[in-house]
Amino acid sequence: MDRREFLKTGGLFLVGTPCVYGLMAMAAPRPHEAGATDARRWGMVIDLNRCPADCSACLEACRRENNVAVHGDRRWDIHWIRKVTIRKKHEADAPTRTLPLLCNHCDHPPCAQVCPVQATYKRADGIVIVDHHRCIGCRYCLIACPYNARYFNYRENDEWPNKAYPKRSHGVAESCNFCAHRLDQGRPPACVEACRDSGAGALKVGDLDDPDSEISRLIADNSVKRIREDLGTEPKVYYIGL
Amino acid sequence: MEIDYEPIAGRSTGYYLLLTALLVLVAAGVTATVLMIAYGIHLSGMTNRVPWGLQIVMAIFYIGLSAGSLVVSGLYGIFGKLEYKPFARIAAFLAMLFLIAGLLSIVTDQGRIDRVFVQPFAHFNATSMFSINPALYMGHIMICIFYMWALFKEKGRLTKVTSVTVVLWALCVHTGTGAIFAFTPRELYNTALLPPSFVAAALSSGAALMILVLVSLFRITRRHLDVALVIWLGRLLAVFIIVAMYVILIENAHRFYLIESREATSYYLFKGYHAVLFWGGLIVVGSVVPAVLLFRRRTGTSVPWIVFSSVLVVVGVLCERYLIVLPGLEHPPNLFPGMEIIASALDEGIVTYSISLLEILQALGVLSLIGFMFVLGLKYLPLLPTEARAHGQSQMLKDLIARATANAEAEPTSPAV
Repeated sequence: MDRREFLKTGGLFLVGTPCVYGLMAMAAPRPHEAGATDARRWGMVIDLNRCPADCSACLEACRRENNVAVHGDRRWDIHWIRKVTIRKKHEADAPTRTLPLLCNHCDHPPCAQVCPVQATYKRADGIVIVDHHRCIGCRYCLIACPYNARYFNYRENDEWPNKAYPKRSHGVAESCNFCAHRLDQGRPPACVEACRDSGAGALKVGDLDDPDSEISRLIADNSVKRIREDLGTEPKVYYIGL
Repeated sequence: MEIDYEPIAGRSTGYYLLLTALLVLVAAGVTATVLMIAYGIHLSGMTNRVPWGLQIVMAIFYIGLSAGSLVVSGLYGIFGKLEYKPFARIAAFLAMLFLIAGLLSIVTDQGRIDRVFVQPFAHFNATSMFSINPALYMGHIMICIFYMWALFKEKGRLTKVTSVTVVLWALCVHTGTGAIFAFTPRELYNTALLPPSFVAAALSSGAALMILVLVSLFRITRRHLDVALVIWLGRLLAVFIIVAMYVILIENAHRFYLIESREATSYYLFKGYHAVLFWGGLIVVGSVVPAVLLFRRRTGTSVPWIVFSSVLVVVGVLCERYLIVLPGLEHPPNLFPGMEIIASALDEGIVTYSISLLEILQALGVLSLIGFMFVLGLKYLPLLPTEARAHGQSQMLKDLIARATANAEAEPTSPAV
C-alpha cells in the first residue's frame, strides 16, 4: 500500500465510521415503544390520607423491579420514587406531612425539551421515558427538571435483582418511567401494586383521558393538587390531601 | 501599509521545555478523563443535586475569552483601524483555539463520551440549547479558519466580509451559551439578562486576555509594540468592564427585588463563599479596581498597570463564570412554596460542590492542549508580526503616547507583575 492509497483508505475510514454509526443510530428503534398509543394518557393519583408516613412498600418495590441503584451515598443514590416530609416554613411545631415524590410525567416536560439527542422523550401515551442506549450523559435534564426527579448514574450499579429488566451503565441519566414495560403488558406499575398489596391503596394509576377511569373520578370528586402547577409543565401526578 | 510576519524560530531549549511541560499536562488530563470513562464521573465532585461542575464553568469561560479576541481582530477587519492589523491574525487564531477548548471541556464532561460524536448528529433536537450550541461552536471554528486564511492571503475585501460574519456569529455563540442557563426553569438561571451579561463579561475577559497575550508575546520575542496600542486596548477594556458590571448589577438587583426569587438571590449574594466570589472576586477585584486603574491617567497609561488590571479582569470573570453555574444548582428548586422539606433520602436543601483533583487535571489538560497548539502555531504559521507600530496616529493616540512617556520619566518604578 503506497502513501496515497493509505491516506485514501484512512480518510474513508475516518469519515465513513461515524456516518455508518450515525445511520445505525438513526435506524435504532425506541425501547418500550410498542405499547404506546395515544388512545390512553397515563396519570397517577396519590391519596395522602391513605399513605402512612412510615410505609416504604412502593420505594422497595420500585428498586426491586427497576434495578434502581443504591450506593449508600446520598450524593449518588438514585430514587425513581422517594418520600419527603414537609412542614410550614419557620414553624417548628407545625404539623408535618409525608408524601412520595416521583417523576411527574409532565405534559410539557422540560427534560425532553433540553435533551440534545432526544434520548428523553414523551411517548404517545404521555409517559416521559429515557432511551438509555442513546443518552450521552450531559445531565442537562437534571438541570432542567424543576422537581429533582431525574438522576444520573455516577457509578456502576452492582445490584441486579430483576434480571428481566435491564440495569443501566454508568454515564446515563434516568428517572421513573411509570413502569412502562408493565403498563404495556396490562400490569400496574410496581409501586402501585405494592401499595395495593400492603393494604394502603394510596397509589392509583390510570387513563386521564377516560372520564370513567378510577383516577379521573378521584380527580373529579376530590380536591387535588399537583406540585408546582404554576410552572406550566402540566404534571400528571395528582395528590389528594396535600 | 505592509506588515511583515515572521514566525518564531522555536529552537531554544525553553521552547522545547515548554512544549514538553504542556504535553505532560495534556497526558494528565487524558488520564483523568480515561479514569472517569472507566469508573464513572463520581470521581468528579458532582452529585445528583449538582450535576454540572468545573468543566462547564471552564467551557463557558473559554468561550467567553474567544469573544474579546475577535473584537480586537475586528478592530482592523470591521472598523479598518490599520494600527490593529498586526494583531488580527493572532487574535483570530486565539478565538478559534478557545472555541476548541470550550468544546473539549464539554465533551470530556459527558457520561458517555463514546456517543458524543454520533448521537447529537443523528438525533438533533432543535429545542435544546445543547444541540444548537455545538452547531454554533463548530460553525464558529470553521469561519475562524476561513477568516485566518483570508488574513494570511491578505484578501482585503474578503477579510472585511468574513470579519463581520465572524463577529455576528460570535454574538450568536455567546447568546446561545448564556441561553443554556437562561432557558431553564431554575430560579437563579432563568433571567433574560443572562445572555447579555454573558456577552458583556465575555468581551471584557477576552480583551483583557488579548492584552496579556500581546504584551507578553512581544516582550518574550523581543519585538516592538507601541505603548499607545496597549493603552488604547486598556481603554477599550475599561469600557467593557463598565458595561459588564452594569448588566450584572441590574440582573441581580432585579432578581433580588422580586419576592419570588429574593430568598435564592440573597443566599447567593450575601451568604457563604458565593458572596466572597461575587463582591470580592467579581465586583471589587475583577471590576472596580481594574476600572479605576485603567481610567486613572497615571496608571491607565502605564503598561505594567494595564497588564495588572487585565490579570484582575480575567480572574474576576472566572469568578463570574463560576457564579453563573454553581449557585443556581447548590440552591434547591422550590418544590413546595411556603413549606420546607425536613426529611428525605435526597439532599433537598442547600448543598455544596467541591472540585475534585481529577476535574482540575481535566481542565488543565484542555488548557494545555490549546496552549500546545498555540505555541506550535507561533512557529509554523505566519501569525506574529515583526513589529506593531501605531501608524497614522490620531491626535488622541499622540496625546496618550506623550503622557505615557512623561509618566515613564516621572516615575521609573512600576508594580511587579
